[in-house]
Amino acid sequence: MKTLSFGVLSLLFYAGVAVADEEISLSVIAENLKQPWGLAQLPDQSWLVTERGGRLLHIDATTNATQPVALKLPDLFVQAQAGLFEVVLAPDFEQSRKVYLSYACGSASRNTTCVSAGTLDPEMTQLNDLELIFSGTYKEGAAHYGGRMTWLPDSTLLLTLGDGFDYREQAQNLDSYLGKIVRMRGDGSVPEDNPFKHKEAPLTYSYGHRNVQGIVYDAERDAIWQHEHGPRGGDELNKIEAGKNYGWPLVTYGIDYTGAYVSPLQKLPGTVQPLLQWTPSLAPAGLALHNGDLWVAHLAGQRLQRFQFVDGKWQQPKDFLLERETRYRAVASGSDGRLYILEDSPNAKLIALTSEK
Amino acid sequence: MIRIAIAFLVALVVASITAAIIQTQFNIAALQDWSVEIDWALRKEATFHDIINFSPTFAIILGTSLLFSLPIAYFIDRRRPTAEPIWFVVGGAAGLWVAFLIVDALLPMPTLIAVNRTIPGLMSMVACGAFAGYVFARISNISSHSSNGSEGVTA
Repeated sequence: MKTLSFGVLSLLFYAGVAVADEEISLSVIAENLKQPWGLAQLPDQSWLVTERGGRLLHIDATTNATQPVALKLPDLFVQAQAGLFEVVLAPDFEQSRKVYLSYACGSASRNTTCVSAGTLDPEMTQLNDLELIFSGTYKEGAAHYGGRMTWLPDSTLLLTLGDGFDYREQAQNLDSYLGKIVRMRGDGSVPEDNPFKHKEAPLTYSYGHRNVQGIVYDAERDAIWQHEHGPRGGDELNKIEAGKNYGWPLVTYGIDYTGAYVSPLQKLPGTVQPLLQWTPSLAPAGLALHNGDLWVAHLAGQRLQRFQFVDGKWQQPKDFLLERETRYRAVASGSDGRLYILEDSPNAKLIALTSEK
Repeated sequence: MIRIAIAFLVALVVASITAAIIQTQFNIAALQDWSVEIDWALRKEATFHDIINFSPTFAIILGTSLLFSLPIAYFIDRRRPTAEPIWFVVGGAAGLWVAFLIVDALLPMPTLIAVNRTIPGLMSMVACGAFAGYVFARISNISSHSSNGSEGVTA
């Protein structure tokens, strides 16, 4: 079994951290965030941040002032892992001012992952005209929604979806959106060149996923990188390609929380092997490309990891911020050259990280 | 008292191993539904893996439930004119079912034990609770009050 080895960090200090040959500095941009989940930077370098409870916040880049953006999400469902997830700007945001939100919608007995798009007013105090553009396959229980989004160069939107935990076999069912990555146009319609034509799930782009918590398009390498949670062990870093089966739950490097096998198989013809897998699980949540490197935020692993692309593949990662003993929910590359990270707690911070080699 | 403790431990171990074996077959059947070929050697390996790794989790849930359900079964049994291990069987099953409900309500995942997601799977696991109750009653002989008049036996 492949197992990642994690570097041990020493001499790590808050707001002035020496990591081997690198100097890291941290600046708190906002605090008192309640279970923040996603972040997107606006053209003026200010930030939109979602809180899982349903709030969208605008954080000013110069004053760091935080104010709520009024919005009314249709049918928002908040419970356990359910709530407001990701925020992304439309590729033509400067003209359209369109903002996309993913969230859990429905009720405890019948819910799914939804995406709505609305228009951000110039004062950034309201998200208006919210319109539902996607809803997944409905299921019971408040776990495994996926919810991360990224744009492809052709202005189609990728949305990650979870298997709903109790419905893991549905990740193999091409007539269900559970356990899939879907690709849609900006209005939610089906791109003609999507790989599958199944009636019940025509937006499916790839399948066999458990709970995808990070996805990013890499223009430099024309690749889609993704990570997803395994059960106990078997978190994966994958390169996503259209139409491919990523194996869950037929193959996995993890085992169930009870100790039982989900599957005794780790490889199977027709399924894609992960580029890297984390055992034991670090629970990756959030993925960003920053200066050509891949950055992963971890919840249970309480660290950031940086992967560098050398000789055509991602190398073993380097750990950052381990000594802060904090869960990290999301990471994003700022247009000011800094890396931005969201903590995961009822009293979380948005932090800017500067790294100098 | 020692006989009761031994009966409890034997019931717990036997039922937990049985549960592990059963749930493995359900999980393998779910994979086979997607045309995954599982040969006999792999099935055996998976079953052995789950006996070692799943049984302890099951034993914790079952053991905790039996600590409550067996004394209740004993209480009912003592008030019946004839000794019937059925109360321990019913107690073992009902106690485990309630334990599953509590565990699933408390833990973040909707259903901890995957096999419990379906009615046949849940029934098979609950049957292991019944089996534990039966084994306990037979080994402890705790239900034989009418034949040996052992009014002083306590759970």
